[in-house]
Parts: sequence; C-alpha cells; structure tokens
Amino acid sequence: MAVAEKPARRGRRGSMFATLLFKALLRRGGRAGVAAASIVVGAAVVAALMSLYLDISIKMSEELRAFGANFYVGPAVAGGERGIAEDTYAAVLREIPNDRMVGASPLLYGIVRLDLGPAVMAGVDFRGLRQISPYWQVEGSWVGVAFDERNAMIGRRLAESMELKVGDTVTVINRERTQNTRLIVKGIVDTGAAEDEQMFVNLSLAQKLLNLPGRVDFAMLSLIAQGPEADAMATRVNAGVPGVEAKPIRKISQSDGQILDKIEGLMALVALTILIITTLCVNATLSAMVAERTPEIGLQKALGAENRAIVSQFLAETALICVAAVAVGLILGFGLAQVLGQAVFNAWVTFRPAVVPLTLIVSLAAALIAAILPVRGAIGVVPARVLKGE
Amino acid sequence: MDALAEGMPMEGCATYGAPARDVIEIGGLYKRFGAVTALDGVDLTIRAGEFVAIMGPSGSGKTTLLNILSCLDTPSEGRYLLDGIETATLDGKAQAVVRREKIGLVFQQFHLIPYLSAVENVMLAQHYHSVADRDEAMAALERVGLGPRAQHLPSQLSGGEQQRACIARALINEPAIVLADEPTGNLDEKNEELVMALFQQLHAEGRTLVLVTHNPELGARTQRIIRLNHGRVEA
Repeated sequence: MAVAEKPARRGRRGSMFATLLFKALLRRGGRAGVAAASIVVGAAVVAALMSLYLDISIKMSEELRAFGANFYVGPAVAGGERGIAEDTYAAVLREIPNDRMVGASPLLYGIVRLDLGPAVMAGVDFRGLRQISPYWQVEGSWVGVAFDERNAMIGRRLAESMELKVGDTVTVINRERTQNTRLIVKGIVDTGAAEDEQMFVNLSLAQKLLNLPGRVDFAMLSLIAQGPEADAMATRVNAGVPGVEAKPIRKISQSDGQILDKIEGLMALVALTILIITTLCVNATLSAMVAERTPEIGLQKALGAENRAIVSQFLAETALICVAAVAVGLILGFGLAQVLGQAVFNAWVTFRPAVVPLTLIVSLAAALIAAILPVRGAIGVVPARVLKGE
Repeated sequence: MDALAEGMPMEGCATYGAPARDVIEIGGLYKRFGAVTALDGVDLTIRAGEFVAIMGPSGSGKTTLLNILSCLDTPSEGRYLLDGIETATLDGKAQAVVRREKIGLVFQQFHLIPYLSAVENVMLAQHYHSVADRDEAMAALERVGLGPRAQHLPSQLSGGEQQRACIARALINEPAIVLADEPTGNLDEKNEELVMALFQQLHAEGRTLVLVTHNPELGARTQRIIRLNHGRVEA
C-alpha cells in the first residue's frame, strides 16, 4: 500500500506510550491496586518458600542432627580386631571437613562391677557425646570436662536398680578386681533405649578400668551430610585411614532425604496453589479493566492502533503492576521466610540473591498468563460498535 | 480561526487550478447482516476538496456506509477506493494503517480519552501514526482556538471545546478525508455554529469533508447532499 511521506515530527518514540501507560494505571488505581495486591501475596509466598527451599537443606540437616549420630566408624571387618586405636580415631576425625562436623565421640564398652552388681560401662568423650546426643534427657548435669575421672553419668534404669541418685557416690571395680574407683553420679540419663542400662565415664578412665589403653571399640559421628555426600565421606575415610570401616547410618541419612523431599514437595504445592489463586485474581481484575476501557480501546483502534499496540499496552501495564508488586512481595516474603524459619527450624533464613529473579520470573509468568484472556478481549473490541455506544 | 489558513499542512486538500481527483470511489457496494441488506448496491464518488453531507432517515444505512468509508467495517460485496487504495479487501492490520494515514474521524460523542489532556489526546493520534510531537499538537489546538485549554482534561472542557479538540485530532495527521458523524449532535446552537464554521473554513481551504447528519439545516450548508434510503443512494 503506497502511503505518502509525512514531514518529520519532533518527538521521542515511546514517551506517549509511557504517558498512556502511567495515566491509564493512575486512572484505575483501585483496580490496579487489587491486581497488585494479588501479585504481592503470590510473590511474597513464592519468595518466602523459595528462600526456605534454598536454605532448607542446611537448616534441615542441622535440625535432623537432633535425632543423633548419622555416621559410624569402627574396625574393618577383614582385620578381625576388637576396636581401633585411639590414634586411628584421631586420624578419622582429620579426614572430616570441619564445616561438616557437628560432633563425635569414641565409645569403649566393658563390664564392671558396681556396689550392687555388674553393669555395662561406656567410655566416651562427654563433650562429643553431648553434641551427637542432643535428645538425651539428663537429670543433674552433663560431665563437662574431657579428663574428668571423678564424675560419671548413669542410665535411668541402672540408677534405679542400683538405688543411685544424682550426687551419690558409686564404687566401680574392674573385672580383675584389682582396682576400685569412686565416682560421683553427676547426671542420670534417660534416652528410652539401651543407654538407660549403662554407665558413662571418660574414655581415659574406661581404658584404665578395662585395661585397654589407647583403644576404642568404635566411634559415632554426627555430620552435616546426606545421601551421596555421606557416602562420599565414608569412601574418603575408608581410603584415607587403613583398618577402619566408615559408613553412614542409613536410617537417619535416608530420613533426612525423605523428609526434605516431602517438605520441598509440600512447599512447591503451596506455592503452586497460591500462584493459581493469584493468576485467577489478576485475571478477574484485568478482565474488569478491559471491560471498563472498551470505548477507549475502540477509539485507539479507530485512530489506527494495530492489535500489536493494544497488546503491548495491556501487557506493559500488567508487567508494570507486576514489577511494583514483586518489589513489595519480596520484602514481605523475606519477612515471612524469617517467621517460618523461626517457627519451623528455630533459625534465621539467609537472604539468597537468586530469590529475586526467580520470584520476578514466576510472578511475571503468572501475571502474563492471567492477562491472556483479557488481552484477547481487548483485541476483539469492534470499534464501529463501541464508538456508537453499543 | 484565521490561523487555520496559516501553515496547516494540505496533503488531503484539492489543488486549485487542477482537475479534482476522486478521493472516494464506490461501486456496487453491498453490506448484508444475515438476511438484512443494509447497503444495497451503493455507487458514489467524492472528489478532493468536496464538502458532502450524507443524509437519510434512521435505518437508511448512513452509519453502515460511514463505517465502511472509515475502514471500520468491510463491505460484503463491491468496490471502495480511498485515495486510490482498494480498501474493500484489506485485512484488519492494513485497515488500521489506512485509518491512521488517510482518515480523520470526528464523533458525535467526541470520544476523547478522559485521563489525557486535550493536547495529549491530539498526540495520541500522532503516536499511532508516527511519533507524538507536542509542539505540533499544540499548534493544531491553537488553530481551533483551544491553545489556552490544551492542558485541560476533557471533563474540564465544554462540549464545543471537546468537539474542537476532536477536530484537531482528526486533522493532525493531514488525512485525505475527514469523516464526521453527527458532529453537532451533542452541542448547543452556539457551539454547533462554531463547529460548522470550522468545517466550512476547512472546506474553503480545500479539505475533503464528509458529514453524516439527519439535520437538513446542516446538510444545506454543505456543497452536496447524498441521500440514502433503504440502503440505496437516491437519485
């Protein structure tokens, strides 16, 4: 189609588009506000759950450490020896990265005689034992010093059968009856498991009483690692320290993964539901805006606006509302993440920069999907009808 | 209003001293809505620089003809040449191009965008045509006597002022033809006179104007009346 050349105009392309965009939104502040509020809610939930999602592996691992040790180190089966040397245990600890270690304790078991009969005694590193056994209920207090050979902790049922209370003194006699040691019961332990029948003393004392100097039976560790990462650490220890067998305790490691999967799936489901609701709200609001602006759209078409221009205008308005709403939603979402982090994990959630673009992309996608039907409605406006007031 | 004669681009105007060309050529034009025939074989020609009124009773097909003339609708059958362009077979996108390049529309209800000022309403037509130029839009409003009211919103303008803003918008892209649909239908006598004087001045400058009206007094002030009845042009 031949169109005559027009004299060049002085003006900035896009400035009228911006004027139209902002004034149209200001004119319909109420409706735009409703659409923005919907997106704020959606963006806040998405940002909060995404912050938690990105932080949850670490938070969950820390939380799941409350269930106890998740890593075992003992003598290699092929060696046929009882236990491992204390130096070997120290070498194992050196193989574990510090940032992955929550706590560790060697254990050396033996039978001793107490005043009222025999008992199982465990030599431990009390500081490490406390870190890998945070769920233990202790009456009295923990033995806090590593070289303390005057105090002991005793299991609930053993204490009852020996009629011992916190502060009582108990005499421990070795199997050969060559050594008597008087210990003060500093804490009574209640775990609901085998520990309730045992007595706990410092490793060095246990080694003397059992006549096993420099030996431990095995060690229990609590590591921040799950699944393949825990397997990799076991492989590394096995390769780096000869004569030991290291392995993750599957029950807890697998629980880590399963709980994580379930929580992440739940979060995704909640986010998806909120996004669908947001999309429907935005769709309803944009549809009302288009219906209200039908005469305006008809006029724009009569003035020569192509469908592309109408689509651009509505999508730009939607995107503008969305970007403003996401900015608010991100702030609220980070706050919500802190509330959830404190409520669920008792920890602050770290700000992850990736949350910003991800929330923006997800929210924009939801808003633009919501705009599809209203924009189609705008394209379908027949100017000849609306300009006649039909 | 004399300012209209100064510097107003004249692309859509007749050239004095030369034979006037046909701006609109319509032949065998039909428009059917189901079983109803709104336009029944219309033939007409409008030359550049003519000031024509299309008149007829309700249901005669005036609005249907105007919609086709303004490329807001397409005929069911027939030929419509606008400034040499066959528009009857154009798709929606090409029709939009023709509307912004060749046609200036003046409406009975003015149809100004309520949240844009008078000058921004004129700039909107420039925006869809090429690029919005505030100075040029201001000059157009000054030509219709609305310079001091350029920054006002439509709600702050009288009916006559709104219609003059609408006329400035229709003229801003120098269209081949200005189509006015009952342009004084919502105006009082004083503003009706003002708007008609403006149209007559535009005609005197050589612009091609088509006025759809049911008012015989307005029709009498045009150069030629085309009467429609039952979708046909009366002889």
